[in-house]
Amino acid sequence: MKRMFSSITDGRGFDLVLVGVPFTFLLALSGLPLLYNILMSFQEVDMFSLGSVVRPFVGFKNYVDLFTQPETMSILRNTIVFVVGSITGQFIVGFALALFFWINFPGASWLRGLFLVSWVMPGLVVGAIWNWILSGDFGVLNFLLQQTGLMSGNIFWRSDPNFSLWAVILANIWLGTSFNMILLATGLAAIPTDLYEAAEMDGANAWQRFWTITLPMMRSTIGAIIALGLIFTLQQFDLFAAITDGGPNNSSNVAQYWAWDLSFRQYDFGKGATISVIMTVFVMFAATVYVRSTRHEVRG
Amino acid sequence: MSDVARNRLLLTLSVVMAAIYLFPLYWMYVTALKSGSEMFATPPSFWPLSAQWSTFAYVWESRNMGRYLWNSTVIAFGAVTLIAVLGTGCAYVLARYRNIWVDIGLFLILMFQVLPASLMITPIFVGFSQLGLLEYPRFAVTLAITAKSMPFFVVLVRATFMAVPMELEEAALVDGNSRIGAFFNIVLPLARNGILVSAILIFMQAFGEFVYSKSMIQDIQLQPASVGLNSFMGPNTSEWNNIMAYATMYVTPILAIFVLLQRRIVSGLTSGALK
Repeated sequence: MKRMFSSITDGRGFDLVLVGVPFTFLLALSGLPLLYNILMSFQEVDMFSLGSVVRPFVGFKNYVDLFTQPETMSILRNTIVFVVGSITGQFIVGFALALFFWINFPGASWLRGLFLVSWVMPGLVVGAIWNWILSGDFGVLNFLLQQTGLMSGNIFWRSDPNFSLWAVILANIWLGTSFNMILLATGLAAIPTDLYEAAEMDGANAWQRFWTITLPMMRSTIGAIIALGLIFTLQQFDLFAAITDGGPNNSSNVAQYWAWDLSFRQYDFGKGATISVIMTVFVMFAATVYVRSTRHEVRG
Repeated sequence: MSDVARNRLLLTLSVVMAAIYLFPLYWMYVTALKSGSEMFATPPSFWPLSAQWSTFAYVWESRNMGRYLWNSTVIAFGAVTLIAVLGTGCAYVLARYRNIWVDIGLFLILMFQVLPASLMITPIFVGFSQLGLLEYPRFAVTLAITAKSMPFFVVLVRATFMAVPMELEEAALVDGNSRIGAFFNIVLPLARNGILVSAILIFMQAFGEFVYSKSMIQDIQLQPASVGLNSFMGPNTSEWNNIMAYATMYVTPILAIFVLLQRRIVSGLTSGALK
Protein backbone atom coordinates (compact mmCIF):
# COMPACT_ATOMS: atom_id res chain seq x y z
CA MET A 1 0.00 0.00 0.00
CA LYS A 2 2.74 2.39 1.00
CA ARG A 3 4.73 1.56 -2.09
CA MET A 4 1.73 2.17 -4.29
CA PHE A 5 1.15 5.54 -2.67
CA SER A 6 4.76 6.61 -3.09
CA SER A 7 4.67 5.54 -6.71
CA ILE A 8 1.70 7.84 -7.27
CA THR A 9 3.40 10.84 -5.70
CA ASP A 10 6.88 10.13 -6.99
CA GLY A 11 7.16 7.64 -9.82
CA ARG A 12 5.61 5.89 -12.75
CA GLY A 13 2.24 5.87 -10.98
CA PHE A 14 2.17 9.67 -11.09
CA ASP A 15 2.20 9.67 -14.89
CA LEU A 16 -0.27 6.83 -15.09
CA VAL A 17 -2.79 8.60 -12.86
CA LEU A 18 -2.42 11.88 -14.74
CA VAL A 19 -3.04 10.22 -18.07
CA GLY A 20 -5.34 7.43 -16.91
CA VAL A 21 -8.13 9.48 -15.37
CA PRO A 22 -8.77 11.74 -18.39
CA PHE A 23 -8.54 8.81 -20.79
CA THR A 24 -11.03 6.83 -18.73
CA PHE A 25 -13.32 9.86 -18.82
CA LEU A 26 -12.94 10.23 -22.58
CA LEU A 27 -13.43 6.55 -23.25
CA ALA A 28 -16.58 6.56 -21.11
CA LEU A 29 -18.06 9.71 -22.63
CA SER A 30 -16.84 9.52 -26.23
CA GLY A 31 -15.67 5.96 -26.83
CA LEU A 32 -18.69 4.21 -25.33
CA PRO A 33 -21.24 6.44 -27.12
CA LEU A 34 -19.41 5.64 -30.35
CA LEU A 35 -19.92 1.91 -29.80
CA TYR A 36 -23.44 2.46 -28.51
CA ASN A 37 -24.16 4.34 -31.71
CA ILE A 38 -23.16 1.34 -33.80
CA LEU A 39 -25.35 -0.91 -31.66
CA MET A 40 -28.35 1.42 -31.99
CA SER A 41 -27.98 1.57 -35.74
CA PHE A 42 -28.94 -2.11 -35.78
CA GLN A 43 -31.88 -1.63 -33.43
CA GLU A 44 -35.28 -0.04 -33.56
CA VAL A 45 -35.10 2.85 -31.11
CA ASP A 46 -38.03 5.21 -30.63
CA MET A 47 -39.63 7.14 -27.79
CA PHE A 48 -41.10 3.95 -26.28
CA SER A 49 -38.02 1.76 -26.32
CA LEU A 50 -35.73 4.63 -25.33
CA GLY A 51 -35.46 3.58 -21.71
CA SER A 52 -35.16 -0.16 -22.18
CA VAL A 53 -31.82 -1.88 -22.56
CA VAL A 54 -33.03 -4.73 -24.77
CA ARG A 55 -34.58 -3.44 -27.95
CA PRO A 56 -35.80 -5.19 -31.10
CA PHE A 57 -32.84 -6.10 -33.25
CA VAL A 58 -33.52 -5.25 -36.89
CA GLY A 59 -30.28 -6.11 -38.66
CA PHE A 60 -29.47 -3.82 -41.55
CA LYS A 61 -33.04 -2.53 -41.82
CA ASN A 62 -32.11 1.03 -40.79
CA TYR A 63 -29.36 1.17 -43.39
CA VAL A 64 -31.57 -0.25 -46.14
CA ASP A 65 -34.47 2.03 -45.21
CA LEU A 66 -32.28 5.10 -45.26
CA PHE A 67 -30.91 4.42 -48.71
CA THR A 68 -34.36 3.76 -50.17
CA GLN A 69 -35.75 7.03 -48.82
CA PRO A 70 -36.19 9.59 -51.62
CA GLU A 71 -34.47 12.46 -49.80
CA THR A 72 -31.30 10.56 -48.91
CA MET A 73 -29.48 11.07 -52.18
CA SER A 74 -30.20 14.78 -52.34
CA ILE A 75 -29.07 15.24 -48.73
CA LEU A 76 -25.82 13.37 -49.39
CA ARG A 77 -25.29 15.47 -52.50
CA ASN A 78 -25.93 18.63 -50.44
CA THR A 79 -23.34 17.44 -47.93
CA ILE A 80 -20.73 17.08 -50.66
CA VAL A 81 -21.60 20.49 -52.16
CA PHE A 82 -21.47 22.05 -48.70
CA VAL A 83 -18.10 20.53 -47.86
CA VAL A 84 -16.44 21.22 -51.22
CA GLY A 85 -17.93 24.71 -51.54
CA SER A 86 -17.02 25.73 -47.99
CA ILE A 87 -13.48 24.37 -48.09
CA THR A 88 -12.74 25.88 -51.51
CA GLY A 89 -14.07 29.28 -50.51
CA GLN A 90 -12.37 29.34 -47.12
CA PHE A 91 -9.09 28.17 -48.53
CA ILE A 92 -8.89 30.56 -51.49
CA VAL A 93 -9.93 33.66 -49.56
CA GLY A 94 -7.84 32.60 -46.57
CA PHE A 95 -4.74 31.98 -48.69
CA ALA A 96 -5.13 35.31 -50.51
CA LEU A 97 -5.40 37.16 -47.20
CA ALA A 98 -2.48 35.23 -45.71
CA LEU A 99 -0.30 36.12 -48.70
CA PHE A 100 -1.24 39.78 -48.38
CA PHE A 101 -0.51 39.92 -44.67
CA TRP A 102 2.76 38.09 -45.26
CA ILE A 103 4.15 41.41 -46.49
CA ASN A 104 5.78 42.97 -43.50
CA PHE A 105 4.34 46.29 -42.37
CA PRO A 106 3.61 47.77 -38.96
CA GLY A 107 0.28 46.56 -37.57
CA ALA A 108 0.11 43.57 -39.92
CA SER A 109 0.04 40.88 -37.27
CA TRP A 110 -2.44 42.72 -35.05
CA LEU A 111 -4.88 43.33 -37.90
CA ARG A 112 -4.47 39.76 -39.08
CA GLY A 113 -5.38 38.47 -35.63
CA LEU A 114 -8.49 40.66 -35.60
CA PHE A 115 -9.96 38.56 -38.41
CA LEU A 116 -10.24 35.69 -35.97
CA VAL A 117 -13.28 37.23 -34.24
CA SER A 118 -15.44 35.41 -36.78
CA TRP A 119 -14.09 32.18 -35.36
CA VAL A 120 -14.52 32.87 -31.64
CA MET A 121 -18.12 34.05 -31.95
CA PRO A 122 -20.86 31.56 -31.04
CA GLY A 123 -22.02 29.83 -34.22
CA LEU A 124 -25.60 30.72 -33.51
CA VAL A 125 -24.82 34.44 -33.37
CA VAL A 126 -22.96 34.20 -36.68
CA GLY A 127 -26.00 32.42 -38.09
CA ALA A 128 -28.39 35.06 -36.77
CA ILE A 129 -26.37 37.89 -38.30
CA TRP A 130 -26.15 36.18 -41.69
CA ASN A 131 -29.81 35.28 -41.56
CA TRP A 132 -30.58 39.00 -41.35
CA ILE A 133 -27.97 40.00 -43.96
CA LEU A 134 -29.35 37.41 -46.39
CA SER A 135 -32.97 38.37 -45.85
CA GLY A 136 -34.81 38.53 -49.18
CA ASP A 137 -36.69 41.84 -49.01
CA PHE A 138 -34.64 43.90 -46.59
CA GLY A 139 -31.31 42.12 -46.54
CA VAL A 140 -28.26 44.29 -46.97
CA LEU A 141 -26.53 41.77 -49.25
CA ASN A 142 -29.28 41.98 -51.87
CA PHE A 143 -29.10 45.77 -51.64
CA LEU A 144 -25.33 45.83 -52.16
CA LEU A 145 -25.47 43.36 -55.04
CA GLN A 146 -28.06 45.50 -56.78
CA GLN A 147 -26.19 48.73 -56.15
CA THR A 148 -23.07 47.31 -57.73
CA GLY A 149 -25.15 46.13 -60.68
CA LEU A 150 -24.35 42.45 -60.22
CA MET A 151 -28.00 41.55 -60.00
CA SER A 152 -31.35 43.06 -60.92
CA GLY A 153 -33.95 41.32 -58.72
CA ASN A 154 -33.93 40.20 -55.10
CA ILE A 155 -32.60 36.73 -54.34
CA PHE A 156 -34.57 35.01 -51.61
CA TRP A 157 -31.50 33.32 -50.18
CA ARG A 158 -33.19 31.42 -47.39
CA SER A 159 -36.47 30.41 -49.01
CA ASP A 160 -35.42 29.73 -52.62
CA PRO A 161 -34.41 26.04 -52.87
CA ASN A 162 -31.77 26.98 -55.45
CA PHE A 163 -29.97 29.28 -53.05
CA SER A 164 -30.71 28.04 -49.53
CA LEU A 165 -27.67 25.76 -49.35
CA TRP A 166 -25.46 28.52 -50.74
CA ALA A 167 -26.73 30.87 -48.06
CA VAL A 168 -25.28 28.56 -45.42
CA ILE A 169 -22.09 27.99 -47.44
CA LEU A 170 -21.58 31.76 -47.67
CA ALA A 171 -21.90 32.12 -43.90
CA ASN A 172 -19.63 29.14 -43.32
CA ILE A 173 -16.96 30.53 -45.65
CA TRP A 174 -17.02 33.77 -43.67
CA LEU A 175 -16.76 31.83 -40.42
CA GLY A 176 -13.86 29.61 -41.48
CA THR A 177 -11.76 31.94 -43.64
CA SER A 178 -10.00 33.55 -40.69
CA PHE A 179 -8.93 30.23 -39.23
CA ASN A 180 -7.53 29.12 -42.59
CA MET A 181 -5.73 32.42 -42.94
CA ILE A 182 -4.07 32.25 -39.52
CA LEU A 183 -2.82 28.70 -40.05
CA LEU A 184 -1.63 29.42 -43.59
CA ALA A 185 0.17 32.51 -42.30
CA THR A 186 2.01 30.31 -39.80
CA GLY A 187 3.04 28.00 -42.63
CA LEU A 188 4.23 30.92 -44.77
CA ALA A 189 6.30 32.33 -41.92
CA ALA A 190 8.14 29.02 -41.63
CA ILE A 191 9.52 29.11 -45.21
CA PRO A 192 13.20 30.14 -45.09
CA THR A 193 13.64 33.52 -46.76
CA ASP A 194 16.99 32.69 -48.35
CA LEU A 195 15.15 30.42 -50.78
CA TYR A 196 13.44 33.49 -52.19
CA GLU A 197 16.65 35.50 -52.25
CA ALA A 198 18.36 32.77 -54.22
CA ALA A 199 15.45 32.47 -56.66
CA GLU A 200 15.37 36.22 -57.14
CA MET A 201 19.05 36.25 -57.99
CA ASP A 202 18.41 33.54 -60.54
CA GLY A 203 15.84 35.84 -62.12
CA ALA A 204 12.59 34.14 -61.09
CA ASN A 205 9.62 36.50 -61.07
CA ALA A 206 6.99 36.64 -58.33
CA TRP A 207 4.65 34.27 -60.15
CA GLN A 208 7.40 31.66 -60.64
CA ARG A 209 8.53 32.00 -57.05
CA PHE A 210 4.98 31.33 -55.88
CA TRP A 211 4.65 28.15 -57.97
CA THR A 212 8.13 26.76 -57.44
CA ILE A 213 8.82 27.72 -53.82
CA THR A 214 5.74 28.81 -51.88
CA LEU A 215 3.35 26.08 -52.98
CA PRO A 216 5.78 23.14 -52.73
CA MET A 217 7.05 24.33 -49.34
CA MET A 218 3.48 24.67 -48.09
CA ARG A 219 2.40 21.22 -49.20
CA SER A 220 2.10 19.61 -45.78
CA THR A 221 0.49 22.73 -44.27
CA ILE A 222 -2.06 22.82 -47.08
CA GLY A 223 -2.81 19.12 -46.64
CA ALA A 224 -3.35 19.61 -42.93
CA ILE A 225 -5.58 22.65 -43.47
CA ILE A 226 -7.77 20.93 -46.07
CA ALA A 227 -8.20 17.97 -43.70
CA LEU A 228 -9.00 20.34 -40.81
CA GLY A 229 -11.46 22.15 -43.10
CA LEU A 230 -13.19 18.85 -43.84
CA ILE A 231 -13.41 18.10 -40.11
CA PHE A 232 -14.77 21.55 -39.28
CA THR A 233 -17.34 21.66 -42.10
CA LEU A 234 -18.67 18.24 -41.10
CA GLN A 235 -19.05 19.61 -37.56
CA GLN A 236 -21.02 22.65 -38.71
CA PHE A 237 -24.49 22.54 -37.21
CA ASP A 238 -25.30 25.91 -35.68
CA LEU A 239 -25.45 27.77 -38.99
CA PHE A 240 -28.08 25.39 -40.35
CA ALA A 241 -30.13 25.77 -37.18
CA ALA A 242 -29.90 29.56 -37.36
CA ILE A 243 -30.28 30.24 -41.09
CA THR A 244 -32.39 27.71 -43.00
CA ASP A 245 -33.27 24.91 -40.58
CA GLY A 246 -32.41 22.50 -43.39
CA GLY A 247 -35.26 23.77 -45.52
CA PRO A 248 -37.10 24.57 -47.62
CA ASN A 249 -38.02 20.97 -48.33
CA ASN A 250 -34.56 19.61 -47.38
CA SER A 251 -32.89 21.72 -50.09
CA SER A 252 -30.26 22.89 -47.59
CA ASN A 253 -30.20 19.81 -45.40
CA VAL A 254 -26.89 18.01 -44.85
CA ALA A 255 -26.08 14.68 -43.22
CA GLN A 256 -24.96 16.01 -39.83
CA TYR A 257 -28.10 18.14 -39.49
CA TRP A 258 -30.31 15.35 -40.76
CA ALA A 259 -28.93 12.93 -38.17
CA TRP A 260 -30.00 15.30 -35.42
CA ASP A 261 -33.34 15.98 -37.10
CA LEU A 262 -34.13 12.26 -37.34
CA SER A 263 -33.37 11.70 -33.67
CA PHE A 264 -34.77 14.80 -32.03
CA ARG A 265 -37.61 15.91 -34.31
CA GLN A 266 -38.84 12.60 -35.70
CA TYR A 267 -37.78 10.59 -32.63
CA ASP A 268 -36.32 7.85 -34.82
CA PHE A 269 -33.11 7.40 -32.85
CA GLY A 270 -32.19 4.23 -34.73
CA LYS A 271 -32.00 6.05 -38.06
CA GLY A 272 -30.29 9.04 -36.48
CA ALA A 273 -27.65 6.67 -35.14
CA THR A 274 -27.28 5.05 -38.56
CA ILE A 275 -26.49 8.35 -40.30
CA SER A 276 -24.16 9.24 -37.45
CA VAL A 277 -22.23 6.00 -37.87
CA ILE A 278 -21.80 6.57 -41.61
CA MET A 279 -20.65 10.16 -41.14
CA THR A 280 -18.33 9.27 -38.26
CA VAL A 281 -16.45 6.97 -40.63
CA PHE A 282 -15.88 9.89 -43.01
CA VAL A 283 -14.74 12.19 -40.21
CA MET A 284 -12.26 9.62 -38.92
CA PHE A 285 -10.91 9.17 -42.42
CA ALA A 286 -10.31 12.94 -42.62
CA ALA A 287 -8.63 12.83 -39.23
CA THR A 288 -6.27 10.11 -40.40
CA VAL A 289 -5.32 12.23 -43.42
CA TYR A 290 -4.69 15.11 -41.06
CA VAL A 291 -2.43 12.99 -38.86
CA ARG A 292 -0.47 11.77 -41.87
CA SER A 293 0.15 15.28 -43.14
CA THR A 294 1.36 16.55 -39.77
CA ARG A 295 3.10 13.36 -38.67
CA HIS A 296 6.63 14.66 -38.73
CA GLU A 297 5.50 17.54 -36.54
CA VAL A 298 3.63 15.31 -34.11
CA ARG A 299 6.77 13.33 -33.54
CA GLY A 300 8.58 16.61 -32.94
CA MET B 1 8.23 54.93 -53.08
CA SER B 2 9.55 55.64 -49.62
CA ASP B 3 9.15 53.12 -46.81
CA VAL B 4 6.78 55.33 -44.87
CA ALA B 5 4.47 55.81 -47.86
CA ARG B 6 4.57 52.10 -48.61
CA ASN B 7 3.70 51.18 -45.04
CA ARG B 8 0.86 53.66 -44.99
CA LEU B 9 -0.56 52.33 -48.23
CA LEU B 10 -0.39 48.73 -47.00
CA LEU B 11 -1.91 49.65 -43.68
CA THR B 12 -4.81 51.44 -45.39
CA LEU B 13 -5.38 48.50 -47.70
CA SER B 14 -5.39 46.02 -44.84
CA VAL B 15 -7.73 48.17 -42.75
CA VAL B 16 -10.12 48.29 -45.72
CA MET B 17 -9.95 44.52 -46.03
CA ALA B 18 -10.54 44.02 -42.32
CA ALA B 19 -13.49 46.44 -42.51
CA ILE B 20 -15.07 44.48 -45.36
CA TYR B 21 -14.51 41.22 -43.55
CA LEU B 22 -15.89 42.47 -40.26
CA PHE B 23 -18.89 44.17 -41.88
CA PRO B 24 -21.36 41.51 -40.60
CA LEU B 25 -20.29 42.35 -37.06
CA TYR B 26 -20.79 46.07 -37.73
CA TRP B 27 -24.19 45.32 -39.23
CA MET B 28 -25.21 43.56 -36.03
CA TYR B 29 -24.37 46.60 -33.92
CA VAL B 30 -26.01 49.07 -36.33
CA THR B 31 -29.20 47.03 -36.66
CA ALA B 32 -29.47 46.71 -32.90
CA LEU B 33 -29.56 50.51 -32.64
CA LYS B 34 -32.17 51.07 -35.36
CA SER B 35 -35.86 51.66 -34.76
CA GLY B 36 -38.45 49.21 -36.03
CA SER B 37 -39.23 51.31 -39.11
CA GLU B 38 -35.69 52.35 -39.93
CA MET B 39 -34.65 48.71 -39.98
CA PHE B 40 -36.85 48.03 -43.02
CA ALA B 41 -36.03 51.22 -44.91
CA THR B 42 -34.87 51.02 -48.53
CA PRO B 43 -32.16 51.98 -49.15
CA PRO B 44 -30.90 50.76 -45.74
CA SER B 45 -29.13 53.33 -43.62
CA PHE B 46 -25.55 52.47 -42.75
CA TRP B 47 -25.57 54.67 -39.67
CA PRO B 48 -28.55 54.74 -37.30
CA LEU B 49 -30.56 57.99 -37.67
CA SER B 50 -31.63 58.04 -34.04
CA ALA B 51 -29.94 55.40 -31.91
CA GLN B 52 -32.48 53.41 -29.88
CA TRP B 53 -30.49 52.52 -26.78
CA SER B 54 -33.67 51.50 -24.97
CA THR B 55 -33.89 48.37 -27.16
CA PHE B 56 -31.19 46.75 -25.06
CA ALA B 57 -33.04 47.22 -21.79
CA TYR B 58 -36.28 46.08 -23.40
CA VAL B 59 -34.75 42.88 -24.81
CA TRP B 60 -32.86 42.15 -21.60
CA GLU B 61 -36.11 42.34 -19.62
CA SER B 62 -38.51 40.72 -22.04
CA ARG B 63 -36.29 37.79 -23.02
CA ASN B 64 -35.02 37.32 -19.48
CA MET B 65 -31.45 37.42 -20.71
CA GLY B 66 -29.92 37.49 -17.28
CA ARG B 67 -31.10 33.96 -16.70
CA TYR B 68 -29.91 32.73 -20.11
CA LEU B 69 -26.45 34.24 -19.69
CA TRP B 70 -26.21 32.87 -16.16
CA ASN B 71 -26.95 29.36 -17.44
CA SER B 72 -24.37 29.76 -20.22
CA THR B 73 -21.83 30.88 -17.66
CA VAL B 74 -22.57 28.01 -15.29
CA ILE B 75 -22.24 25.43 -18.07
CA ALA B 76 -19.11 26.97 -19.60
CA PHE B 77 -17.44 27.47 -16.22
CA GLY B 78 -18.20 23.92 -15.14
CA ALA B 79 -16.85 22.50 -18.37
CA VAL B 80 -13.66 24.59 -18.28
CA THR B 81 -12.96 23.64 -14.67
CA LEU B 82 -13.40 19.95 -15.37
CA ILE B 83 -11.35 20.19 -18.56
CA ALA B 84 -8.51 22.05 -16.89
CA VAL B 85 -8.33 19.63 -13.95
CA LEU B 86 -8.38 16.53 -16.13
CA GLY B 87 -6.65 17.83 -19.24
CA THR B 88 -3.59 19.60 -17.83
CA GLY B 89 -2.00 16.50 -16.37
CA CYS B 90 -2.79 14.52 -19.47
CA ALA B 91 -1.14 17.15 -21.68
CA TYR B 92 1.91 17.17 -19.38
CA VAL B 93 2.48 13.43 -19.64
CA LEU B 94 1.94 13.46 -23.40
CA ALA B 95 4.51 16.25 -23.71
CA ARG B 96 7.09 14.72 -21.39
CA TYR B 97 7.66 11.38 -23.05
CA ARG B 98 8.20 10.27 -26.60
CA ASN B 99 7.34 6.64 -27.24
CA ILE B 100 4.81 4.50 -29.02
CA TRP B 101 2.23 4.80 -26.19
CA VAL B 102 2.33 8.57 -26.40
CA ASP B 103 1.80 8.36 -30.15
CA ILE B 104 -1.19 6.09 -29.64
CA GLY B 105 -2.53 8.44 -26.96
CA LEU B 106 -2.17 11.44 -29.25
CA PHE B 107 -3.94 9.61 -32.04
CA LEU B 108 -6.83 8.72 -29.72
CA ILE B 109 -7.03 12.31 -28.50
CA LEU B 110 -7.25 13.52 -32.08
CA MET B 111 -9.97 11.00 -32.92
CA PHE B 112 -12.02 12.16 -29.93
CA GLN B 113 -11.45 15.75 -30.96
CA VAL B 114 -12.89 15.43 -34.44
CA LEU B 115 -16.16 13.69 -33.54
CA PRO B 116 -18.95 16.12 -34.48
CA ALA B 117 -21.30 17.03 -31.64
CA SER B 118 -24.37 16.67 -33.84
CA LEU B 119 -23.46 13.03 -34.51
CA MET B 120 -22.51 12.20 -30.93
CA ILE B 121 -25.66 13.68 -29.42
CA THR B 122 -27.85 10.71 -30.41
CA PRO B 123 -25.98 8.04 -28.39
CA ILE B 124 -25.12 10.48 -25.59
CA PHE B 125 -28.76 11.52 -25.22
CA VAL B 126 -30.05 7.93 -25.18
CA GLY B 127 -27.31 6.80 -22.81
CA PHE B 128 -27.75 9.73 -20.44
CA SER B 129 -31.50 9.26 -20.36
CA GLN B 130 -31.02 5.61 -19.40
CA LEU B 131 -28.60 6.58 -16.65
CA GLY B 132 -31.02 9.22 -15.40
CA LEU B 133 -28.50 12.00 -16.00
CA LEU B 134 -31.06 14.07 -17.93
CA GLU B 135 -32.66 14.85 -14.57
CA TYR B 136 -29.75 17.26 -14.14
CA PRO B 137 -29.63 18.70 -17.66
CA ARG B 138 -27.01 21.40 -17.10
CA PHE B 139 -24.67 18.88 -15.53
CA ALA B 140 -25.31 16.48 -18.41
CA VAL B 141 -24.45 19.19 -20.94
CA THR B 142 -21.34 20.09 -18.95
CA LEU B 143 -20.17 16.48 -19.10
CA ALA B 144 -20.84 16.26 -22.84
CA ILE B 145 -18.98 19.52 -23.55
CA THR B 146 -16.07 18.35 -21.40
CA ALA B 147 -15.74 15.18 -23.48
CA LYS B 148 -16.00 17.20 -26.69
CA SER B 149 -13.55 19.98 -25.85
CA MET B 150 -10.96 18.33 -23.62
CA PRO B 151 -8.95 16.89 -26.53
CA PHE B 152 -8.51 20.35 -28.04
CA PHE B 153 -7.37 21.68 -24.67
CA VAL B 154 -4.89 18.82 -24.32
CA VAL B 155 -3.45 19.54 -27.78
CA LEU B 156 -3.03 23.25 -27.01
CA VAL B 157 -1.60 22.79 -23.52
CA ARG B 158 0.73 20.02 -24.66
CA ALA B 159 2.37 22.55 -26.99
CA THR B 160 2.91 24.80 -23.96
CA PHE B 161 4.51 22.02 -21.91
CA MET B 162 6.80 21.18 -24.82
CA ALA B 163 8.26 24.67 -24.49
CA VAL B 164 9.11 24.17 -20.80
CA PRO B 165 12.72 22.95 -20.62
CA MET B 166 12.92 19.51 -19.09
CA GLU B 167 16.24 20.35 -17.39
CA LEU B 168 14.41 22.58 -14.92
CA GLU B 169 12.25 19.72 -13.78
CA GLU B 170 15.21 17.36 -13.58
CA ALA B 171 17.11 19.87 -11.48
CA ALA B 172 14.19 20.07 -9.08
CA LEU B 173 14.14 16.28 -8.80
CA VAL B 174 17.85 16.21 -8.06
CA ASP B 175 17.26 18.82 -5.35
CA GLY B 176 14.97 16.36 -3.61
CA ASN B 177 11.55 17.30 -4.92
CA SER B 178 9.09 14.49 -5.50
CA ARG B 179 7.52 14.18 -8.94
CA ILE B 180 4.33 15.69 -7.60
CA GLY B 181 6.23 18.55 -5.99
CA ALA B 182 8.22 19.31 -9.13
CA PHE B 183 5.05 19.28 -11.18
CA PHE B 184 3.16 21.74 -8.99
CA ASN B 185 6.09 23.98 -8.02
CA ILE B 186 8.14 24.12 -11.22
CA VAL B 187 6.37 22.92 -14.35
CA LEU B 188 2.86 24.20 -13.72
CA PRO B 189 3.86 27.80 -12.87
CA LEU B 190 6.02 27.94 -16.01
CA ALA B 191 3.14 26.78 -18.20
CA ARG B 192 0.57 28.96 -16.47
CA ASN B 193 0.03 31.47 -19.26
CA GLY B 194 -0.48 28.85 -21.94
CA ILE B 195 -2.94 26.96 -19.77
CA LEU B 196 -4.85 30.13 -19.02
CA VAL B 197 -5.12 31.15 -22.67
CA SER B 198 -6.26 27.68 -23.69
CA ALA B 199 -8.84 27.69 -20.90
CA ILE B 200 -10.17 31.04 -22.09
CA LEU B 201 -10.44 29.71 -25.64
CA ILE B 202 -12.35 26.66 -24.38
CA PHE B 203 -14.56 28.92 -22.26
CA MET B 204 -15.53 30.97 -25.31
CA GLN B 205 -16.45 27.83 -27.22
CA ALA B 206 -18.46 26.38 -24.35
CA PHE B 207 -20.20 29.74 -23.84
CA GLY B 208 -21.60 29.49 -27.36
CA GLU B 209 -22.33 25.75 -27.37
CA PHE B 210 -25.65 24.87 -28.95
CA VAL B 211 -26.25 21.25 -30.07
CA TYR B 212 -26.00 19.55 -26.67
CA SER B 213 -27.93 22.26 -24.83
CA LYS B 214 -30.69 22.34 -27.43
CA SER B 215 -31.14 18.58 -27.30
CA MET B 216 -30.78 17.88 -23.60
CA ILE B 217 -32.23 20.92 -21.80
CA GLN B 218 -36.00 21.05 -22.17
CA ASP B 219 -36.68 23.32 -19.19
CA ILE B 220 -36.53 26.95 -20.31
CA GLN B 221 -35.34 27.97 -16.84
CA LEU B 222 -32.10 26.06 -17.40
CA GLN B 223 -31.39 26.85 -21.06
CA PRO B 224 -28.28 28.82 -22.07
CA ALA B 225 -28.22 31.92 -24.26
CA SER B 226 -27.59 30.07 -27.51
CA VAL B 227 -30.84 28.13 -27.15
CA GLY B 228 -32.58 31.34 -26.11
CA LEU B 229 -31.39 33.05 -29.30
CA ASN B 230 -32.59 30.10 -31.35
CA SER B 231 -36.08 30.25 -29.90
CA PHE B 232 -36.11 34.04 -30.34
CA MET B 233 -35.60 33.60 -34.09
CA GLY B 234 -38.88 32.08 -35.21
CA PRO B 235 -39.22 31.19 -38.89
CA ASN B 236 -41.06 34.41 -39.83
CA THR B 237 -39.63 36.86 -37.37
CA SER B 238 -39.51 40.55 -38.11
CA GLU B 239 -37.96 41.82 -34.89
CA TRP B 240 -34.47 41.91 -36.29
CA ASN B 241 -33.42 44.94 -34.27
CA ASN B 242 -34.37 43.08 -31.07
CA ILE B 243 -32.63 39.89 -32.18
CA MET B 244 -29.48 41.82 -33.05
CA ALA B 245 -29.65 43.54 -29.64
CA TYR B 246 -29.81 40.09 -28.04
CA ALA B 247 -26.86 38.93 -30.17
CA THR B 248 -24.93 42.07 -29.23
CA MET B 249 -25.36 41.53 -25.51
CA TYR B 250 -24.47 37.87 -25.90
CA VAL B 251 -21.34 38.30 -28.00
CA THR B 252 -19.80 41.59 -26.83
CA PRO B 253 -18.20 40.16 -23.66
CA ILE B 254 -16.58 37.41 -25.74
CA LEU B 255 -15.33 39.91 -28.30
CA ALA B 256 -13.95 42.15 -25.56
CA ILE B 257 -11.94 39.29 -24.06
CA PHE B 258 -10.73 38.30 -27.50
CA VAL B 259 -9.54 41.77 -28.50
CA LEU B 260 -7.76 42.21 -25.17
CA LEU B 261 -5.95 38.87 -25.34
CA GLN B 262 -5.76 38.65 -29.12
CA ARG B 263 -2.02 38.21 -29.46
CA ARG B 264 -1.82 35.44 -26.88
CA ILE B 265 -4.87 33.61 -28.19
CA VAL B 266 -3.65 33.69 -31.79
CA SER B 267 -0.17 32.45 -30.90
CA GLY B 268 -1.56 29.75 -28.60
CA LEU B 269 -3.87 28.59 -31.33
CA THR B 270 -1.26 28.42 -34.04
CA SER B 271 1.27 26.61 -31.89
CA GLY B 272 -1.23 23.91 -31.01
CA ALA B 273 -3.35 23.40 -34.07
CA LEU B 274 -0.66 22.33 -36.51
CA LYS B 275 1.54 20.39 -34.14
